[in-house]
Amino acid sequence: MIDFGFTVSPSSRLDLDKMDRTSFNALAKIEPDVLKCMACGSCTASCTAAQFEPTSLRQAILLLQRAQVEQALNLLKGCMLCGKCTMVCPRGINTRHLIISIQKIYGK
Amino acid sequence: MKSIMIAAAQSVTPSGIIDRYPNSYNHFVLPFVIGISFIIVYLLIGLIRVLYHLTGEDRMKLLKSLFIPKTALKNIRDIFCDCLIHTKIWKRKPLLGYMHSAIAFGWFMLIVLGHLEVALFAPRHLEGITEGSLYYPIFYRFFIWMNPAHETLRGTVFFFLMDFFLLYVLSGIALAMFKRVRSIALGMRHTTKPSLADRVALYSLWAIFPLRLLAEGFTADLSGGSFLTKPVNWMFKAFFGNELNFMPTWWAYSICLGLFFLAMPFSRYMHILTEPLLILFRNAGLKVRKPRKGFAEAEIYACSSCGLCIDACPMNTQKKNLKYSSVYFIRFLRRHNNRKINEIADKCLMCGKCAAICPVGVNSPEIRRVQRETLNNNLKFDYSYLDSTSAIEKPKANGKILYFAGCMSHLTPKIIKSVESILKASGNEYEFMDKDKGICCGRPLMLSGKTEAARKTIEANRKLIEESGCTTLLVSCPICLKVFKEEYNLKGIRVIHYTQFVDNLVKEGRLSISKTSMSMVYHDPCELGRGCGIYDEPRHALESIGELKKAPKERDESMCCGYSLGSLTLDDKDRGKIAESAVENLLTNKPDCIVTACPMCYRAIRSKSTVPVKDFAEIFCDNIKLWD
Amino acid sequence: MKNNILVIGGGPAGLEASANLKRMGYNVILIEKESKLGGHLAKWDRLFPDGVSARKTLEALTDEIRGVNCFTETQVQSLNILDKSYNAILSNGITVLADAVLLSSGFDLFKAEKKEEYGYGIYEGVITNADLEKAFREKKMPLNEPRAIGFVHCVGSRDEKAGNPACSKVCCATAVKQACEIKEVYPNADVYCFYMDLRMFGRHYEDLYLKAQKEFGIRFIRGRVSEVAEMADGRLQVKAEDTLSSKPIRVTLDMLVLMAGMRPSEAGRSVGRQINLTTEDDGFFSSEDNLLAIQKSKLPGFFYAGACTGPKTLPDTLHEARSAALEIDRYIKENTREK
Repeated sequence: MIDFGFTVSPSSRLDLDKMDRTSFNALAKIEPDVLKCMACGSCTASCTAAQFEPTSLRQAILLLQRAQVEQALNLLKGCMLCGKCTMVCPRGINTRHLIISIQKIYGK
Repeated sequence: MKSIMIAAAQSVTPSGIIDRYPNSYNHFVLPFVIGISFIIVYLLIGLIRVLYHLTGEDRMKLLKSLFIPKTALKNIRDIFCDCLIHTKIWKRKPLLGYMHSAIAFGWFMLIVLGHLEVALFAPRHLEGITEGSLYYPIFYRFFIWMNPAHETLRGTVFFFLMDFFLLYVLSGIALAMFKRVRSIALGMRHTTKPSLADRVALYSLWAIFPLRLLAEGFTADLSGGSFLTKPVNWMFKAFFGNELNFMPTWWAYSICLGLFFLAMPFSRYMHILTEPLLILFRNAGLKVRKPRKGFAEAEIYACSSCGLCIDACPMNTQKKNLKYSSVYFIRFLRRHNNRKINEIADKCLMCGKCAAICPVGVNSPEIRRVQRETLNNNLKFDYSYLDSTSAIEKPKANGKILYFAGCMSHLTPKIIKSVESILKASGNEYEFMDKDKGICCGRPLMLSGKTEAARKTIEANRKLIEESGCTTLLVSCPICLKVFKEEYNLKGIRVIHYTQFVDNLVKEGRLSISKTSMSMVYHDPCELGRGCGIYDEPRHALESIGELKKAPKERDESMCCGYSLGSLTLDDKDRGKIAESAVENLLTNKPDCIVTACPMCYRAIRSKSTVPVKDFAEIFCDNIKLWD
Repeated sequence: MKNNILVIGGGPAGLEASANLKRMGYNVILIEKESKLGGHLAKWDRLFPDGVSARKTLEALTDEIRGVNCFTETQVQSLNILDKSYNAILSNGITVLADAVLLSSGFDLFKAEKKEEYGYGIYEGVITNADLEKAFREKKMPLNEPRAIGFVHCVGSRDEKAGNPACSKVCCATAVKQACEIKEVYPNADVYCFYMDLRMFGRHYEDLYLKAQKEFGIRFIRGRVSEVAEMADGRLQVKAEDTLSSKPIRVTLDMLVLMAGMRPSEAGRSVGRQINLTTEDDGFFSSEDNLLAIQKSKLPGFFYAGACTGPKTLPDTLHEARSAALEIDRYIKENTREK
């Protein structure tokens, strides 16, 4: 590499053309409910863990769809699996199994 | 025949009993000897394996329990009631209970009396293997000649008893055959499909006793007999003559016994031998630690594959879910089918009904939980935020009641509001621990198999509770209650559910209740009823308000509402179906309203009920005089 | 001989259809289960998007039904299909032999107490859209100098748990309208709208939205309210996620208005059960064709108008009522010719 005396800062733009969807598809296979989210935020609003630590299933799903795995996992690691989000989800998403499945597929 | 008798006329005992064979051996005993030797060796190896996989601590616990008189007595009682008499099945379905006790207790008595007979009349044959102690008592009637002239009263009593118990067993076998043909007649909707080993064991079991009757019938004129074997002897002698059938029937009898024992370890009938071990383990207070080894292995082999759990499972409202029943779970555990094991383990609602009705008492939800542990315990979660002291405001409840509503109750504000009203109305001072922020009790994590993670939240909550200085912890969610009681080890703090709290207030007359003409039915939440054994308090308290109606399935047979946190994979639609059938059960006797005492059940039943659904605290709030 | 047409339900759809059928020369029998005609319209104060008076709109509709045999506080007791007509016994004892039946049974508002976590019927400060309209109509506002008021969109709509996965179509515009109106009454209060998606699809709806932002300063928060708790002073603490900034938020309100969605009318469904009319999964009646023949049922001579075939706005309902009248006219004429 030639040193030009400056570097190009990485773009903050997500390049959907280059996105790897393999893991997300694998996730959708074991918990198809991940495709049902309409991002209403009920889960985050009622989340027991979110009172202490940034926790958001809604945002995590969105980030996983954009292949932002690390950020997504950070938003789920504080989850206590209490199940409140399952109860409030208007789409009836099986949130607890979804969170466990995300950890199983991405959290290695 | 005559030559045999002459050859045998050597060792005459005082009671006129003669060994017909000097060396007390005949080739026909071989199948039986092979079978019984196999099963004894198999059992020994199995026992060593199971004991080996117990933790050292558990082994000590087990050993100690055998010498504690109270536990030892309980062991004997349980083994007698559960393994021989089958009281649990009697209570549920008397006909089925009779069938089981006839075969088990009847056979047991035949063996005991058989040995007793030998011990009394031919004690020499119990002295060692070489004397035929393995088989002689079983085929006693073949080996002896009884001088009718010397028949004593003692002998006659034995003859009678042996025939009586043989008849008892035969009646059980007849019922069993009938049941196979028409299982519905005995009140079972679903029953399991038998495997090859099951069939071999089953048909040989069916054949054993009729063959015994025939065999002993053929020898009844030589060895003596009573009301059953004697007539058989007369009849067959008249028809066939004796010599022709004598040996073949004894051979067939022995072969069937041998086959039964050979097939036993691979069949459902293994439970006959494993159940006593399970009882010892359970009474010693051991816990399942691995899903396939130690205690769990004893449970797996104690399963009789009877299939009662198929009918009991709340998921059976849909036929597609029948395959998730405990009996299949255990079958797959036996076969090491990991994919299926995990699928069933994750699907289960953990409502505990299968364990409650299991005649053997196999606690399969617990095995499922441990199975979940194997996959989920290591998933990365991080609760370091709970360590920071500023994360949560510390409740102060010196000498007062500390009220913990729990995550779910915050979605049912009615419950919280009613509990608070009752606390105020009864003049109790209290502190609301999780009014603003609360930490999960840890039970959902445990149910998901994340036991290590659960310890973290449990520890955080335990600290808050103990440092609050409270005397009583009042809980409105049965899910929390169970874990507070079992895992928190709160010293000097009474943990009670609000149904118990209200019941106490009613008993002490501290609530002015206006009795109504309303009729109610009470839904037992799984974690409160089967989980914590609280059935009577809510019922007793409700009777002070109105008429309490019964549901066909209630108390320990109560149906799960379907929204249990236990299941990881059951979807919303299937849960809704379960809720519907739970409501149907509750409305059978047409009550004016349904009362329950769990935020999950409350929401689930409300969403499907056609009559009003009230929370336990709510209905008291509606019917007591409140003052602020 | 005049042909009898039975119209079941005296809301906007029933009124408009009756008026048109009467004009075409039919003998129209209109029945309404409540004591007043107009259905939900009779309970509303002003209508989106322009804020016209519901009372005047209803008067304009009722002015047109002169000559229609109108029975209020009347329901269908039994309904039978005869050879080419329908025999209805009404709860007032009258028997009607109708050549065609128009079902305009409309909708019921979702019972907001079913969404337990919002505390309707538990907390005093929680009311529904219908309660608020009633307060507007009677000019009896429930609060003195409130500091903050919130609107929750989609209560019992787009909610599988509540048994209604569909959008109720009108609540978004209603909520924005009501938010503006309440801001007119309490100019000093902060007014929040908690929405999942804002569906301002009709003419002038977007103007209403803009007006709400520009003139009334209504604060729109994209996030569904998940929990409501009562504070010691009786105010309400509401939790939601502001999904656009990805932050859980909490706000203290004096009043929370729940925008209850549309459910199929129970009275309408009980009529449907008498003749085994089929419904779709959402509980609303199924039409012969959802594009070409939404007014037709699968039974000859039995027609629909309005919200009994799914959530509809008032203009949609009125158009459907007119086209149903045309369809009925065509059906009767074709049938008589065969005779």
